[in-house]
Amino acid sequence: MVAPLIPMGVIPESWNNVFAVILGFGFGFALESAGFSSSRKIIGTFFGYDFVVLKVFFTAAITAMIGLLYLSYIGWLDYSLLYIHPTFLASAIIGGIVMGIGFSMGGYCPGTSFCGMAIGKIDAMIFMVGMVIGVFIFSEAFPLFEKLYNSGNLGGKLVSDSLGVSKSLFAFLLTVVAIGMFYGATWVEKKVRKVEY
Amino acid sequence: MEKNKKSGTFYLNPYLSGFIFGMVLLITFVITGRGMGASGAVKSTVVEAVNTVAPGHAEKSVYYSKFISDDAHPMNTWLVFEVIGILAGAFFSGLIFNRLKFKVEHSPKITSRRRLIFALLGGALFGIGSQLAKGCTSGAALSGMAVLSLGGFITMMAIFGTAFIFAWIFKKNWI
Amino acid sequence: MNRRNTLLAILAVVLAAGLLIIPNRGEKKEIKPEQLLTAINDQARFLSTDAITERIIGGDPTLQLIDVRPAKQFNTYALPNAVNIPLDSILSPSWTQLLHQPGKDKVFYSNGDIEADAAWQVCTRNGVSKVFVMKGGLNHWYNTIIKGIEPSNTASGNDLDLYSFRQSARQYFTGSAEQGADQPAQAESTQKPARVKVERKPVEKSSGGGC
Repeated sequence: MVAPLIPMGVIPESWNNVFAVILGFGFGFALESAGFSSSRKIIGTFFGYDFVVLKVFFTAAITAMIGLLYLSYIGWLDYSLLYIHPTFLASAIIGGIVMGIGFSMGGYCPGTSFCGMAIGKIDAMIFMVGMVIGVFIFSEAFPLFEKLYNSGNLGGKLVSDSLGVSKSLFAFLLTVVAIGMFYGATWVEKKVRKVEY
Repeated sequence: MEKNKKSGTFYLNPYLSGFIFGMVLLITFVITGRGMGASGAVKSTVVEAVNTVAPGHAEKSVYYSKFISDDAHPMNTWLVFEVIGILAGAFFSGLIFNRLKFKVEHSPKITSRRRLIFALLGGALFGIGSQLAKGCTSGAALSGMAVLSLGGFITMMAIFGTAFIFAWIFKKNWI
Repeated sequence: MNRRNTLLAILAVVLAAGLLIIPNRGEKKEIKPEQLLTAINDQARFLSTDAITERIIGGDPTLQLIDVRPAKQFNTYALPNAVNIPLDSILSPSWTQLLHQPGKDKVFYSNGDIEADAAWQVCTRNGVSKVFVMKGGLNHWYNTIIKGIEPSNTASGNDLDLYSFRQSARQYFTGSAEQGADQPAQAESTQKPARVKVERKPVEKSSGGGC
């Protein structure tokens, strides 16, 4: 087991931030080249005229998911050392809902707004300003949110465990579902009235 | 390859971009053991700013103090560096695909001002929501999904489900 | 264009299906007996009570004390910021993430050496890295730091230094002047559950930062 490289000590910790920049570059490039710097393109998924968000998001998710599982299988990666985003049931849902509203209003999410900012989109910059304000409001008003923030902690629970299936089976099913969605998306795109953006 | 003929800008095939993005994410996990993120960098910046301007207040606050102590930081700084990379990568892509331009992107049916107001409010809501869910679409949803995290999936469904509903409520702003 | 997409789709499904076919290896990989023997012979896995004390007082964030005694003993008295994982539940999945946390030194302690060492062996065999044993256990810690062993008249300079270090450590642990929450002191049992909760937060703190 040689990976994850830095937690395993294969690469010194001091390189972590160097990689952060490099990997971030890949992130930014991949997103912007797909068109995620445009809020109207992003929002297209919800109106059916441009499903780029769906396609990119799920392709990325299943690529990484399958890759990690294969690496774990051949013994190169220690899966248990991967950071699993912890599940705080209530706040995950409510936070998600709040973010969803913000998304529909702003047309961006933090990652894509950075992409938008980088190419000069002023609405992306204002979105980021809004985010800073939002974080600030949350931090100042934290005592109000504290109970919600900390509630329902299930730890690093895996979705495959809660469904009672193996990780591989879940990854397979998700892949099939994703492909299904891609076909569906292509079909919808053809049917929907074209929008100029 | 998709070409948006009207505006003449070239976008990469979404599946290709998705694959590249997925590989970047995979490599990130392989090297660092963690996924990517974006809202954390915003949080770090706010925390640092408050800590610099009003350290007493930051220490006393329950929320800020969580992120100030010396040990909790490696990931937060990491995200800031990552964002620097994101800005650079996106800029580079915009440069080579000739998309660099200052503008407010909005539907022709609304004014710039309206768009910016909504962007601001949307951002604020996103700021609050991302702190609650301890992640955003990149960090919680995408990276979480890649490692099969339950929280990741739940947050993703909540974000996209809600956004779908509300996009139609705010339809006038978009199409 | 559409044929290419179909081919790609098929490729993706085949790859994903491949995951189903391959035998399901257990995630925890046991290390080989030779590796275990090497690890056992490595004396560096023992940390002295003095070294641990210094790190406790200094608030070293990389230190993670794990008390492997039964819960009742833990609740009566335990070292500051220690987490209680009784030996018989050391392999329980709820502790996996804590044990596997990178960047932290996991130090097992018990009253003596035996249980802590047993925990160390089980974890090392399960491929957990950065695990240690506090040599002498709580008994030695208590005798040297809290009770104190007077140095003899012929003690060397080093011994005297060690003694005065231990004396000040005693001040830290039993005195009331130092900053609040990390004191075990003669804490009532009500404090213990609270302390265990505080312990969980650092595990989440590192998670709270990412997104």
